[in-house]
This record gives sequence, C-alpha cells and structure tokens, in this order.
Amino acid sequence: MAKKRRINSISVPAEIICHIILILFCLLCIVPFIFVVIISFTSQESIRAIGYSFIPKSTSLEAYNYVWRLGDQLWRSYFNSFFITIVGTFLTMLITILYSYALFRKDFKFRKFFTFWAFFTMLFGGGLAPTYVVCKTVLGLSDSYAAVIVPMLLNPFNIIVMRTFFQSSIPEELIDAASIDGSGEYTTLFRIIIPISKPGIATVGLLSALAYWNEWFIPMLYIRDAKFYPLQYLLMQMQTKVDFLVKNSSMIGAEASNIVSDLPSDSLRMALVVLIIVPIACAYPFFQRYIVSGLTIGSVKG
Amino acid sequence: MSKKRSSLKKTLLLTSMVLPGALWFFFLRYLPMVGIVLAFKNYKVYPKNPTFWNNLIHSSWAGLKNFEFLFATTDSWVYIRNTIGYNVLWIVLGLIIAVAFAIMLNELTTKFVAKTYQTLMFFPYFLSWVVASYFLLAFLDPTRGLVDHFLVSKGLEKIDWYNSPQYWPFILTICNLWKNIGYSSILYLAAITGIDTSQYEAAAIDGASKWQQVFYVTIPNLRPMICILLIMNVGKIFNSDFGLFYTVPLNSGSLFSATQVIDTYIYRVLTATNNIGMSTAGGLLQNAVGFVCIMIANRVVKKIDEDSALF
Amino acid sequence: MKKKLLAVLLSCSMVLATFGCGASGGSTGGDTTGGDSAGATENAQSTSGEASGGAEVVDASSLEPVTLKMYFHGSNVTDDSKVMEEVNAYLQEKLNVTLEPIWGTWGDFDQNAVLALQGGDDIDIYFTCSWSADEYNKFARDGYWVRLDNPENNLIEKYGQDLWNLLPEVLINGATINGADGYGVYAVPGYKDIATQNCWDVNVDLLEKYGYTLDDIKNTDYYGFEEILKTVKEGEGDDFYPLLIEGAVLERMVTNSIIITGDSGTGNFMSFYIDPTDVTKAGPYGEKIINKFATDEFKKFVEQTRKYYLEGFIDPAMGNKNQANDTRTAKQLSGEYLIGTQSYSLGYELQASQERGIHVEMVPCTDAYVDTTSSQGAMMAISTASKNPDRAMMFLNLLNTDPTLMTLLNYGVEDVHYTKNSDGTITFTDKRADYQPWTNGVGNVTILPPTEAQGLDFWDGFKAYYGEAKEIPILGFAYDSSQMESQMGAVANVVDEYMLSLCTGTVDPEEKLPEFLKKLEDNGIDAILEDANSQLETFMAAKGQ
Repeated sequence: MAKKRRINSISVPAEIICHIILILFCLLCIVPFIFVVIISFTSQESIRAIGYSFIPKSTSLEAYNYVWRLGDQLWRSYFNSFFITIVGTFLTMLITILYSYALFRKDFKFRKFFTFWAFFTMLFGGGLAPTYVVCKTVLGLSDSYAAVIVPMLLNPFNIIVMRTFFQSSIPEELIDAASIDGSGEYTTLFRIIIPISKPGIATVGLLSALAYWNEWFIPMLYIRDAKFYPLQYLLMQMQTKVDFLVKNSSMIGAEASNIVSDLPSDSLRMALVVLIIVPIACAYPFFQRYIVSGLTIGSVKG
Repeated sequence: MSKKRSSLKKTLLLTSMVLPGALWFFFLRYLPMVGIVLAFKNYKVYPKNPTFWNNLIHSSWAGLKNFEFLFATTDSWVYIRNTIGYNVLWIVLGLIIAVAFAIMLNELTTKFVAKTYQTLMFFPYFLSWVVASYFLLAFLDPTRGLVDHFLVSKGLEKIDWYNSPQYWPFILTICNLWKNIGYSSILYLAAITGIDTSQYEAAAIDGASKWQQVFYVTIPNLRPMICILLIMNVGKIFNSDFGLFYTVPLNSGSLFSATQVIDTYIYRVLTATNNIGMSTAGGLLQNAVGFVCIMIANRVVKKIDEDSALF
Repeated sequence: MKKKLLAVLLSCSMVLATFGCGASGGSTGGDTTGGDSAGATENAQSTSGEASGGAEVVDASSLEPVTLKMYFHGSNVTDDSKVMEEVNAYLQEKLNVTLEPIWGTWGDFDQNAVLALQGGDDIDIYFTCSWSADEYNKFARDGYWVRLDNPENNLIEKYGQDLWNLLPEVLINGATINGADGYGVYAVPGYKDIATQNCWDVNVDLLEKYGYTLDDIKNTDYYGFEEILKTVKEGEGDDFYPLLIEGAVLERMVTNSIIITGDSGTGNFMSFYIDPTDVTKAGPYGEKIINKFATDEFKKFVEQTRKYYLEGFIDPAMGNKNQANDTRTAKQLSGEYLIGTQSYSLGYELQASQERGIHVEMVPCTDAYVDTTSSQGAMMAISTASKNPDRAMMFLNLLNTDPTLMTLLNYGVEDVHYTKNSDGTITFTDKRADYQPWTNGVGNVTILPPTEAQGLDFWDGFKAYYGEAKEIPILGFAYDSSQMESQMGAVANVVDEYMLSLCTGTVDPEEKLPEFLKKLEDNGIDAILEDANSQLETFMAAKGQ
C-alpha cells in the first residue's frame, strides 16, 4: 500500500513548488499571531514611544498581571468555556448528523421539505430583538449553561456541508446493501456511515467547537450572572470596556480618564487574544488527526 | 404490503432523525420570524402593557417607509457596486485558491508537514478583524509604519494609505483571502480525503498522470462541495463582512468610495437614528436579494448536475 | 400529508415547550435568584414588622413588599453580596422594597439595555442619558419612560418633592422635554458634573521650556497659536506633534457651536452658535439651527487647521476615527503634546497633572454652560413596563436625598469598602475593587462623603462651580428626527465621510469642502434643518410659557 502511494505521487519539483507556495502563505498566517504575542509582552511605555513593533524597547507582564487579577473568575470562566464547548459540540454534532443524514437519503419522503426548512433559516431570521424575546420569555433561557448552548445548537450551513460530505463519500449501494442485510436505519447510521465519514464529521465538529469557543455575543445577551461567564465573554468585557471608555471619555468625565490611565490597554488587547487562542489551538490537532489521515479510512468500503 | 409497511417504517425513522433539528429551527428561527413584520411597522411602545408582542401588534403600519433610507442617498450606487463587486471577486478567487491549496496539501508526501501547514493556515481564523487591523496598521501607519519607512529609505514618496482609496480594493482582497482561505480549504481537504483511493489507483493503472488524476478524479469528486459552497456564498452576495470593511480601514472617511458596503452604510445610518424597523428592513432586503440569487444559482446548478444542487 | 406533519410538529412543540420550561426551572440560574429574592422578601416582612415600631416618614408596613430591578451603566462590580444585604435591610425598613441591581458594564450596557427595553423585560428603573444607546429623548418619545410629572398621576408631586427641591433648576429644565405624554419630565436627572466647558489642555512644563507662559495662550486664540507651535515643533523634532486634538471638539471650541441633542450620533452636523462672551445669548446666527459646515467660521477653521497639519503640528493619526482615540490617550499620558482639547470637569487639571506626571493647566474658551447634552449626562428613568412605578419613584427620591443609602449603594459598606477618617473624609480599601459602580451613574453625588483625595470642602466647591454654570438659550431642546430618518441616515454617512478628515486637516479643504457641501445638499440636509428649526420654534414657545 505504502509503496503504491509512493509510485502514484507528484514529482519532486512539483512538490517543491507546492511547499514554497504553502510556506509563504503560512508565514502570512502565523506572523500576525507572533506579532500579537510580542505585543502582549511589550511594555506600555514602549508602545507609547515607538508604537507596535516586532522589536519592543522593553517588555513587561503588565497585561497578564492585569488579567490575573480576575483571580478565580478567570479559572471559572476557563472551565465554563470548556464545558460549553464540549457539551455543545457533542449535542450539535449529534443533531446535525441525524438531520443531515436524513437529508442525504434520496429515498426520504420529506427530504425536500426538510432541506428547505433548514436552508430557509440561513437567509431569513427574525432579527435580534424578536429572537431575544423568544429565547428569554418563551424558552426561558437565561443565566444557565443552556442559555449559551441552545441558541447555538444548529447552523444550517453545517447541516448542508455535512450532507454534502455524505454525498461525496458514501456510495448509495452501501445503504442498499445494509438495508438488505436487515440493518435498521439507526444501526446503519451509527455502525456503518459514521465510521467512514470521519473526515467530514471531524471538520464540522471543529467548526462548531470553534464557534462555541469564540462566542461572546450570546452570553452577553443571556448571561448576567458572572458564575456562567465563558472566557471569551469575560475577556471581551474587558476589551469593550476599554474601547467604550476611550471613545466616550468626554461624556463620562474624570472617572473615565482615571480608569483608562490605569489600563495597559494595547498590550491587554493582545494578551486577551493570546489567552483565547492558546487552548483551542492545542485542541486543534485532535480534530486534525481525522481530517488529514482520512485517506486510509476512506478506503474502507463495504 | 410488507414493502409498503417497511417504507412507512423507513419514513418514520428518518423523520424521527430530523425531528430534534426541525423543532430547534421552529423555535429558535421560525418563531422569531414574526419579527420581520417590524420592517413594515412604526415600532412604538404600547404603554398599557408594553411586552414585545403587544408593542408589535399595536404599532401602526409604515408601508415601505422603513426601506426608503437605503435609496435616500446619492451613494446607493457606490455601496451596491462595492458589496456585489467584492463578493463576486472573492467568491471566484476564494474558490480557486482554496481548492488549489486543498489539492496541494493532499498531494504532499510528508503528512506531518501537511498537518503543520494546515494548522498554520487556520490561525487567521482565530484573529478578529480588530487585531488584524492593528497588524495592518503596523505596516501602513502614516508616521511609523514599516512600509512608509521602507519607501522613504529607498528615496520614494510616502503613501498616505488611510486617505488613498485606490489601494484598498487590493488590501481588502488580500485581507479577506488571508482570513478565509484556511477555513474553506479545510472543507475541501476533508472532502478530498473522503474520496475512495481505489479511484486513484485505477486511474494510475490506466496510466493517468497526476494532472489528469486531479482533473478527472479529484475535481469531479469535489463537485458537490464546490457547488454547495458556491450556492451558499451566492446567497450572501448582498451581505458583507462588517469588521473587514469597518475596522480594517480604521473607519476612515476618505476611503468610503472603496470601503462603503451595504452593512457599513446601514450601521452608520442606525447610529444616527437607532430605529429597529429600519434595521429589520435593511436585513430583510439583503436576505431577499440573497434568496432570489440562491434560487437562480440552484436552478443553474440543477441543470448541470442534479445531485450537486441544494434541493 | 403536510397537514399531518404540521399536527405532529405542533404536538411536539407543546412537548418541547413544557420540556423547555422544566429545563429552565431545573437549571441553576434563573431559579436560584428567584428563590433568593422570595426568601429575601420574607425576611423583609419580618424586619419591617420589627421596624414599624420606630417612627418613619413612610410607613413601610402599610406597603406591599416589592422587588425593584434597576439597570445601572458603567459598573465594575464582581461581588455585591455584602452591599445588597445592607441596602435591602435598609430599604425594607424604609420602603419595604428589595432592590435587584443589574450591573451593566461600559461595554455591554448599550446593547443589552436596549434589547431589554424593546423586549419589554420586567425591569423597573433604567439608567438613561443623552449619549448612551437608550437615549433619553428618543426613548421618551417612543413611550419607554413613564412621565414623572404627568398631570393625571404626578409621581414627582406625590413622592418626589424632597428630591425636586434639592436639584438645581437647570437640571430640571434640561430634563423637561417633549415625550410620548407631552412636554414634561421623563427621568430623574443625576446631580453630577452637569456643565460643559471646552478648554485648551496645556502642557505647561513644555510651554515654559520654550520661554512662553500660560498667558501667551490665554491672550490669543486658535488662529494665534502658530508661532508657539512652530517654536516647539522645531525644538522637539519631526516626530513631535504639538497640537493634540479631537477633531469634533476642536471644531466646537473654535467656532463656539454647541451640540444639538438628537443630531446624528457619529458626527454632528447641526449647530447652534452661542455668544462666547455671554453663553446665555445666541451667537451671530440668532436662535436658529444651521448647517455647521456651510458657515464662514467653518471655512476659516478648516483652512487654518489644514495649514497647521501641513506644517506638521497635527498627528495624521487624528484623522482616523479608530486610531485617533487610542493615539490621543497614549500621547496625553506620556505628555507628548503642547496644546490639547478637553471637555472640562471640575478638578480635571489636578488629576491630569498627576496621571501624566507633568504640570497641566486648562484654558477655558467660554464660561461653563449647561446644554441639553450635559444636563442629561446621567439620569434614571422608570420603564413603562414597570409594575410598580409609584414605589420606583419613592425609591429614587430616597436614593437621591438620603446620604446613608446613596453612600451605601455607591461606595459600599463602611469598614469593608471604605473607612471613615477623623476629619469626615473617607478612604477606600482594597475591597473597593470588587464593588465599583460608576459614581455619577447612581444619582445625586453631592450627598456623598468627600474622599480623602477630594478634600473636605470638595462638594462645596463642586456646588459652587456647577451651580454657577449658565443655561444656554435652547436648553432642553432635543431634535426629533422621526420624520426625517432616511435623510438623517444619508447625511450621517456623508458627514462620516468628510468631517473628521476636514477637522483634522488631513485632506485639502479647497477641494473637499465644496464637494462635501454639495453632497450634504444632495442628500437632503436642508429639509432636516427646516424640520429642526420648526421644532425649535415650537419648543421655544412652550418653554416661554
């Protein structure tokens, strides 16, 4: 098998060209992040003197110390974020797979209706205020983990992408064969379809995990109790506070300028980014294992 | 008879699969859609019992008044041109580059390196536009930016980037690709890895070159994914990435001819008026345009390849 | 089949609805707080029962127990348990009220408070003002606020007499506006730094380094700064920009125009000119609102600014909205400027000197005046969704007149969040970091004890300074753009495109100003101004009565 792949691989010069293109693009992607890390360790004096720079005049831990002062709340929020991301992603994947698998089945009677049912919401929505009212008064979503997870459970985009993954990786004969063998619909899905669709599932899983991890707007709307703050919202609050104070200082008066002068605002912004990215970047390889190594899995065919 | 029964059973089982999702859509998406009515109302509080629904019911009808603001400006053409122009350009460029990257990543012989590239390509997705705008500023800053330093040291004239709209179509295009390529190429890569390897083996045995394999095996297999993503992007043709157009050019007024799009226009109108009816109307128009475009795109795709269509 | 499907869907939706309710009831969040407040209310009854023996102005025991929810702005509160315990014990005794504060922060208040209002949440009292998203005037017109002096149910007369007698007249005038229930008061104005006074913020250390004195600034105006700026620029080098300005503020300072409340939020285009020598009088254009960009004053101003910009007195970063604020703050703090623009509040020069480590002085352009925007800087409105507007008014009255309650809610608990000094001032402890509402956002700050930094006679000086602030002729006027919203939106976009770069000199007015004016006209600015002026006439007539 390995030998065959060797034979059927691209020529060496072509591969080198690929490497060069990809390396250049990757540099473009990673350098801004390195830049962010450097600034998060830059002292405020250096930023005031020479602006953002790759080589700061002096470094400091000011920004991280400022975040550290959140103390227990920081760890609590880290926990909340992990909890919401893990539980949320699991539920999302479960419902998304079920939904998109049914849509994938050409012999499903209501296939068209339910495709449209999901797709239509991708375009039209009631807007912020009506959604807020429904979630809060009809569904009673506030100050709980459910209040963050439920509004984000489904995304029609993911459903349709998932369906397309099924289309491109599952031969129809497979399902026919399974049904002739007498395998029930659920058994077919969980025993046969899911194992061979790992790349697609891992991809959609990654996208929804990222969505949960990055979300701060929904917690802002539905969470007032700091006990449930996810990390992203906690840090976003600090960020928006700084921005708001700087913008409205003339209206808020002396107190605002007092707070602003205390804040390591520039390096703080960057430190917040670092604190958000590092954990999720560490989780990334977990998903990636299934995406890149999919080649061999794909060949397991009924 | 038994065939009929089993077909009924199948329908029931498959329906039970979509049910949780369908209900979620009903409550979280369809129920709030009642609010679309706001676009045609003068939203006012109903003082006797001011709940949202009461306010909605008792507000007077406004006809199409809430839509007027979109066309009340002499700049309608500018923002429509920018919104649609950038979208069309980016859909095409994004598609070609993302597919190319996915194929390249797939063909690399050392999987470890491919994984590393892929991880790195995803980083921009984590960075918000605010952070990206700081990064760009470090290069383009009028007083201490790296690019202007470089130009001056070479004896060239400084460029006032944030007051020169002619450069911004390029800058915005680069920023957009930078941020989104990693995301869409991962979708294509996953679709490629889902392709049955025996197809390549068969092609190789028939003496197909690598190029031929790409064109006759990979791309046909990617077609459903390409079509679907294309259709869905077409649906967003009248929407735009607010952060990219607002934050990245630092909200600089002199750049409006290149950076004003419908979302930024609506945002600026709403900071002036704060009218919920108008914001709903703006969103509704965007979506309606998107809906029409998607229907057309879907029909076209259906004609070419029935299976790749959305529905 | 479709019918069947619908039936299935509907029945399932019922199931889910009950499930939804069950889930939310069982979840930890909402329910616990509900339980808490219920428990607290029981406590309330028992304490009030005990307390009713003592003589009180309001007989708390005759009042039903009530929970009031109050939405604050700008809070920095992570732990309010101690404070609320004491506040509620106190309130139950006085009014049989349990207060449930919602500590909105600087970042999330705008979005959340508006949503809560639009969604009809059961919040009784909201912070509101002329500059946040739940804008006092607009929301009063749309019917979100209870009119407090409604002739049919005059809450102020019934429960707010003490408070009303204590407020300066200008504040009451500034709060009296046209709302959904006619011309009246729709919120309790907070007694805080209510005046506007635009000043040149001068770095005296640097000024004196080059042999000038503060008098050299005082005796000239914007158009006469050139020589000083030039000297300092030459002395400090190319990277130094002596003029540190906020474009929009600079424009108002130089041309003596004031903000019209209700103007577009991002860039103001309407102007009312005042007489800089006597702020109670209208300026050269009389009692009229005009297009500020079409005046000769504006033309002269942008030409001068352009000149200063080209000579390198103004940092190009000031022409970018998103970059300007950050850069300005940074340069202020590092003292890298000679003359800046500042909207003054009492004691600012001392605070600024301390923060920046330089000697800062303020040179005012006019006397301190009160306009609609500044008098509506921080207010508390009762929502029409409130079930207990009467009690809410009683509470606001007590909060703004009772030093014990105000101090408790604003500064926290004595010996926990602050300690009393022997001279009557107070000093904050470390615990203050956990409980820091926005002082001005809570209400009448003049009944607070002075802090050690402020000094014992701080509030006397405060009342003297702000008490003397003069009322501009159109105080209380706020433009209602509801008939002109499309034009407002279009014009706001045009203003956004040109104003800041013109006011900071980053573009050439020769070319851009005529372009700007033409575009404003094409997008309907004249119709807006006509509308605004007819409203102003009506308002002045009502005010005159």
